Amino acid sequence: MSKGWQLTLILCLLGLFALFYQGLWGDPRHIPTVLIETDAPNFEGPDVETGQTISLEQFKGKVVLLNFWASWCYECKVEHESILQLHQLFKDNPEFVMLGVNYQDELPDAQKYLKEYGSTFSHVRDLKGQLAIDYGVYGVPETFVIDQQGKIRHKWVGPITGEVYTNITQKVIAPLLKAQPTTTTTS
Amino acid sequence: MIIEIGHFSTIVALVLSVFGMASAALALKTRNPDWARSGRMAITLIFVLLGVGMLSLVYAFIIRDFSVLYVANNSNSKLPFFYTVAAVWGGHEGSLLLWVFILSVFSTLAVWLHWRTQPTIMPYLIAVESAIIFGFLCLIVFLSSPFERLLPVPLDGKDLNPLLQDPAMVMHPPMLYMGYVGFSIPFSFAMAALFSGRLGEEWIKVTQRWSMFAWMCLTTGILLGGYWAYYELGWGGYWGWDPVENASFMPWLVGTAYLHSVLVQEKRKMFKVWNLFLIIVTFSLSLIGTFLVRSGVLTSVHSFATDPERGLYILIFVGTVIGIAFGALILRSNKLKSQVEMDSLVSRESIFLFNNLFFLVAAATVFLGTLYPLILETLQDAKVTVGPPYYNAVFMPIALGLLFLMGIGPYIPWRKASVASLKKSFSTPLLAGAVIVVLLFVTGIHNLYALAGGYVVTFAGMAIVLDFGKISQLYAQRNGSNIFQGGLAAFTANQRRYASMLTHIGVLVLVVGIIASTVYQTEKVVSMRVGDEFAIGDYRMKLAKIHEVAGGNWNAQEGVFQVFKGEDLITELRPQKRIYSATQTPTTESAIYATKMGHVFLTMPEVSEDGVAVARGVLNPLVLWVWGGGVIMGLGVILNILRPRKKEE
Repeated sequence: MSKGWQLTLILCLLGLFALFYQGLWGDPRHIPTVLIETDAPNFEGPDVETGQTISLEQFKGKVVLLNFWASWCYECKVEHESILQLHQLFKDNPEFVMLGVNYQDELPDAQKYLKEYGSTFSHVRDLKGQLAIDYGVYGVPETFVIDQQGKIRHKWVGPITGEVYTNITQKVIAPLLKAQPTTTTTS
Repeated sequence: MIIEIGHFSTIVALVLSVFGMASAALALKTRNPDWARSGRMAITLIFVLLGVGMLSLVYAFIIRDFSVLYVANNSNSKLPFFYTVAAVWGGHEGSLLLWVFILSVFSTLAVWLHWRTQPTIMPYLIAVESAIIFGFLCLIVFLSSPFERLLPVPLDGKDLNPLLQDPAMVMHPPMLYMGYVGFSIPFSFAMAALFSGRLGEEWIKVTQRWSMFAWMCLTTGILLGGYWAYYELGWGGYWGWDPVENASFMPWLVGTAYLHSVLVQEKRKMFKVWNLFLIIVTFSLSLIGTFLVRSGVLTSVHSFATDPERGLYILIFVGTVIGIAFGALILRSNKLKSQVEMDSLVSRESIFLFNNLFFLVAAATVFLGTLYPLILETLQDAKVTVGPPYYNAVFMPIALGLLFLMGIGPYIPWRKASVASLKKSFSTPLLAGAVIVVLLFVTGIHNLYALAGGYVVTFAGMAIVLDFGKISQLYAQRNGSNIFQGGLAAFTANQRRYASMLTHIGVLVLVVGIIASTVYQTEKVVSMRVGDEFAIGDYRMKLAKIHEVAGGNWNAQEGVFQVFKGEDLITELRPQKRIYSATQTPTTESAIYATKMGHVFLTMPEVSEDGVAVARGVLNPLVLWVWGGGVIMGLGVILNILRPRKKEE
């Protein structure tokens, strides 16, 4: 019998245990926030609905809200109404841009999702998950707020509803825009 | 005082597990059967002592003794009685104790049941089982004791995790553990075979019922977990490819491969190394699953305490077991050459080979997906999760392939099949599948997975029905009875075969449930105020009111939804958003209306201060088939285990 499989087996096991050992010293609940106050990684990708290329660079000098979502994500549906409402709140401000990032999804599913739940702003497809890796996204939904200088100023893991909504609109976005939001009701 | 008795018994059990290993070694060295007998006694006593340990912990929970740290962490004075007992395995320490207790029950059963028929193997079995028990007891006694006292005594406990306060959760962990631990018996026999050099088919025949039992428990545990996720987590789905779910699914996949491939060794003396490899992998994955869940290496909805020290210990232990097992396999591999070669690619052997390949690829897929975030984090310090699309994309074709093999496997002869016999067996099922696809298509089902699923399910189901029908008829003719009596006679005469086929039918039912409820799930999320309504499918849901309700240890906002079909009010659904008092943890309690064909599922995940509620309605067609299929599968396995022993077994 060839020795090949035996060696492979040993190497696989050693690799696995090295990995597990290394993994022990990380905290699974710790989500890196090193990105806060750093430059938002640039990206480029096709629009989910039109297919045209969207890049972050074209919005330089504006406050950008990035919302990572996927059609298979349950919490995204929960936050969807308030996300639309948030857009409604600031969309008239020329300094504000909102972008959805469609993450780990099938294009038809994503399009169907937007059709069904409504879409008032553009969504870029994260084709290879590279964008999510650059932003350290570890699940959906996740939301980032980028300021006029292109620095990440806020990150939220989980749905934007209730208090989180009030906080992100009043304490994060409004001060950046130096604007008073007219309404703050949430759903 | 009682808890100290439990603590003390557990320590004595630890000492006895060392004694068990030593006496097994002495039995092998001196060939004196008295040593083996003392080893058997040690295992039995460990079971009794751990039973005392378990009972003392149960007692501490029942009297709500918050001076015990573990009780204080996992119980509360307002926790309903039902859950105070289940809380014993609601946390890290207690669930480990349950693990090793079940292990001691199975070990004791194994040494007594197989004592007379397997005398030479017994010392090895005792050694392996004592060693595993020793490993777990060290962890419990030195690092994760559930018997520790807490000073000063708190007035009240922190309460059991609200998500675990659910009937399905009471049975889910013990069933899973019985599955994991159940595989330790075939594993121990396999190790005994490797160490003793008795590498024939015997260990496989002896452990067959054990493997089936373990498999059934694991299946039940997984399905119960799915049921829990379905209505308690408010997913509206039952499977989310969460790392911890995957941890239980991987041993299931490899265990299923093992259950099939042992048949080849039994009948054709092939796959010797392979079967040993599979059972080692199955049990290793059970242990790795425990490690993944208990060490906090992965991020998951199952929020367990993370502690690198414990994690490191479990890793060393798991590594030792796996290292020794694979080491023994590698050292013995030159002795394990099969004498028999495969005759033809068109034979039952080769179908089993493909079956194994598919199951292993499936397991590897899940394994990679589960560990990918960890790999990436180690190499790049980035956090990612692998979402359902990855698993669904890779898994669907594998599952369809497996179902197809399931239709062919039982009806293709060993060694070599002729084309004529294949035509005879499979032309009707193949045709029936095609007919179903056309029918489905005409009735408006155009989804590719649904059509492909419909095809293979019909094909495999038809093959089973035709074969059984034919045999039943033969029996009916021979006995001059009607077809039902003939069927019964056919079943009892070939109980092993037809019990397995019943399990296969259960799988088919489950698959129909999964396909229908995932592909044809309708879902709607809306925000609404009292008086608003929304439509989903044929149903209209009107939010009549939102009011406060209170349970023993929780308060909730309950939405009262009137459900209309057409103009008729058919029922009222009351989903809740609960807050558990002790922990202030919110949970969503779903409300379900069962229709003939499926479920109307409603949750209310958000209620804002100004009275706007987010409601989520889901129509899950045929979802009950998922669990119905599970019941049929279990029934098949039970009939298989209870079949009368034949002489050659």
